[in-house]
Amino acid sequence: MGNMIKTIDVTDSLTNLKDACDLENGRISGKIFYDKTIYEQELEKVFARCWLFVAHESQIPKTGDYITTTMGEDEVIVIRQKSGGIKVFLNACPHRGNKVCFAESGSTRGFICNYHGWSFNVEGNLVGQHESGVYEDSDFDKSQWGLKEVAKVDSWKGLVFATFDPESPSLQEYLGPMTWYLDALFDNQEGGTEFVGGCIRSTYECNWKIAAENFVGDILHAGWTHDSAARAMLGGAVAKVSDFEESYSVNWNGHGYEFALDTVGNVAVLGESALNKYLHTIKPSVAERLGDFRSNMIGSVSSCTIFPNFSFLPGQNTVRVWQPRGPNKIELFTWVVVNKSAPEEVKEKWRKGAMMTFSPTGVFEMDDGENWEYCTKTARGRVTSQQDLFVGLGMDTLLTDTPLPANVYEGQLNEANSRAFYQYWFDMLNAKSWSEVPDRNLGKKEAE
Amino acid sequence: MEVIEKVLLCKVSDLAENQVKKIENAEYGDIAVYNLGGQYYATADLCTHATASLAEGDIEDDLITCPVHWGQFHIPTGKAQGFPCEIDLQTYPVEVEGDEIFALIAVDQALIAKG
Amino acid sequence: MTALYDELRPVSAEQHYRVSHFLNYEYRLLDDERFDDWLALMHEEVHYWMPGIENRRRENRLEHGFYAADHMAYFDDSLRDLGRRVARFQQPSAWAENPATRNVHQLTNVEVYYGETDGEYIVHSTFQSVRSRGLDEEYVIYGRREDLIVQDGDSFKIKKRLILIPNATLTCKNINTFL
Repeated sequence: MGNMIKTIDVTDSLTNLKDACDLENGRISGKIFYDKTIYEQELEKVFARCWLFVAHESQIPKTGDYITTTMGEDEVIVIRQKSGGIKVFLNACPHRGNKVCFAESGSTRGFICNYHGWSFNVEGNLVGQHESGVYEDSDFDKSQWGLKEVAKVDSWKGLVFATFDPESPSLQEYLGPMTWYLDALFDNQEGGTEFVGGCIRSTYECNWKIAAENFVGDILHAGWTHDSAARAMLGGAVAKVSDFEESYSVNWNGHGYEFALDTVGNVAVLGESALNKYLHTIKPSVAERLGDFRSNMIGSVSSCTIFPNFSFLPGQNTVRVWQPRGPNKIELFTWVVVNKSAPEEVKEKWRKGAMMTFSPTGVFEMDDGENWEYCTKTARGRVTSQQDLFVGLGMDTLLTDTPLPANVYEGQLNEANSRAFYQYWFDMLNAKSWSEVPDRNLGKKEAE
Repeated sequence: MEVIEKVLLCKVSDLAENQVKKIENAEYGDIAVYNLGGQYYATADLCTHATASLAEGDIEDDLITCPVHWGQFHIPTGKAQGFPCEIDLQTYPVEVEGDEIFALIAVDQALIAKG
Repeated sequence: MTALYDELRPVSAEQHYRVSHFLNYEYRLLDDERFDDWLALMHEEVHYWMPGIENRRRENRLEHGFYAADHMAYFDDSLRDLGRRVARFQQPSAWAENPATRNVHQLTNVEVYYGETDGEYIVHSTFQSVRSRGLDEEYVIYGRREDLIVQDGDSFKIKKRLILIPNATLTCKNINTFL
């Protein structure tokens, strides 16, 4: 069947979004990757509304330890409190709006704005200004002018999320049964996980959704896109995913996790036998902790995106956020996650292994970047942007009699997670508030 | 001739170890009183750099950190220790009588005559 | 590797020429995609390191100021690792290398000093790497380098390379070359 070209009125992007996102028929249009109006709506209805990953607890262990990041395009400071909790503030002075923290991480007693010397403590309270007397003369109420806090902050197994929307559901409800799967990487050993120091940032000229969708459920690309890297690292082709006897695509609220049960398929591409060995060594204790099923997922061929833009690969242990910077640009923030209890030499091999494979110099990531950029760039074309794009693999593969939680689909080579991702995205853009977001989940909320 | 005025600061029982307390004093300026491991000290409460109450700052060993710009002063001597503080802090000798802590403030005779 | 200028002993003009020539030759091999020849210039114990750059306040400096050995890096490679990177470039299925990336590597500000042992040289330099792909993509990376090279017959081998870029965020999607 040929590609039908529909006429979409681009002057009213949102009214016609339905035409650009026909998921019941497994179709989207390239226009959702290049349209400025859609992007503006995303900043408001996706990024200013959803729970967004902001830090790992291990990055800020002590009072005053902070990192800066962004939630959508909003710059924020994530800082450990005396109480042990974590606060997230806008990184903008409430006087003239200047950025108050220019460093990406560190430890501090507070933040002093470079412009007029407004000084904020770790709790975000305004504690003083240069020439403070003149404020007192103007009956200035210091207590009203602290750093602006986000609506909610919460964490799951070390992963810290924040949301700007006070009406958002709880983090637990937002993640839903995906937490059961997250634990396969983030809670498979006593003590949980930690991030390796540092953060590698790079810039892609691509739409954020293309990258997020790649991790939500596109293992299909790996065997083809990454052939060269697999041959370089392993001396042979990527494992043939269609040969796996058992694999799944699971999703919930637009989050998605696709996985096989081969334990070490992902970790193997790092080409470090010590890491395969480590996973095999811990596997019995993971089985005891999480059950046999999830002990097969600790480094298997798999990937995950938590909607909208937090992704990771178990095994390669790369963790990333696709930070939106306009409809056709992202900044990619990447970290490496390891088990806290892992031997130092194992952590070190993961630090290097993630770099060798999935980083700006990584042999796998090399071939992703160009694909994602040109999936975006072709949509510059007025006519090209309106062509139908196929996301119709595995339309009728929902498993209704599985003990597994979430919406479970048979097989990894399946675009069910991609469709669920775009459906949730579509629903968010169409909803005026959280109460209008339809619940399309079909599966179990808990494992049986 | 110098006259020493004895100014009541607070009760010993009101100042736990490694705590600082601000005592308002309209005449000589507010006073910060410290308990460093059972040893008591008194300094001016107003930071010499900007308008800030040192009693709202944190004690680290024998240093008080200004809460506004995080400059530090050595509590026993009042010496300015860290950027951006450059001017030393006024200190006062302290006397403990029973349960009460006093600062001994040297008052200029001329000032008294004027007052 | 870093030492103060007055603690270092500059080599003769002739030796400076030999070392500079070697490093220029090395860069031309990269521009010509002669990866096997390039790899042959690496010492078997080579440490090829390009740490991630972290934008920290002066009072929160890391082990080396704005980078640290145990933090994330772009390269932190042994000879085996470099060989794997080269192997990927050479696969016919390296899709993002066909059409080829066109490279121009430049080396400037070369200072050559005697190393701690005979036949070892410490080289400080700055570089510029320009890459172009497709019809209109252009990526420029500037940086500073510290190399430790060792005499190997009439030529040299690269034993240590430290690559420092000023950027805390890479302004492009990848580094599909060596620096």
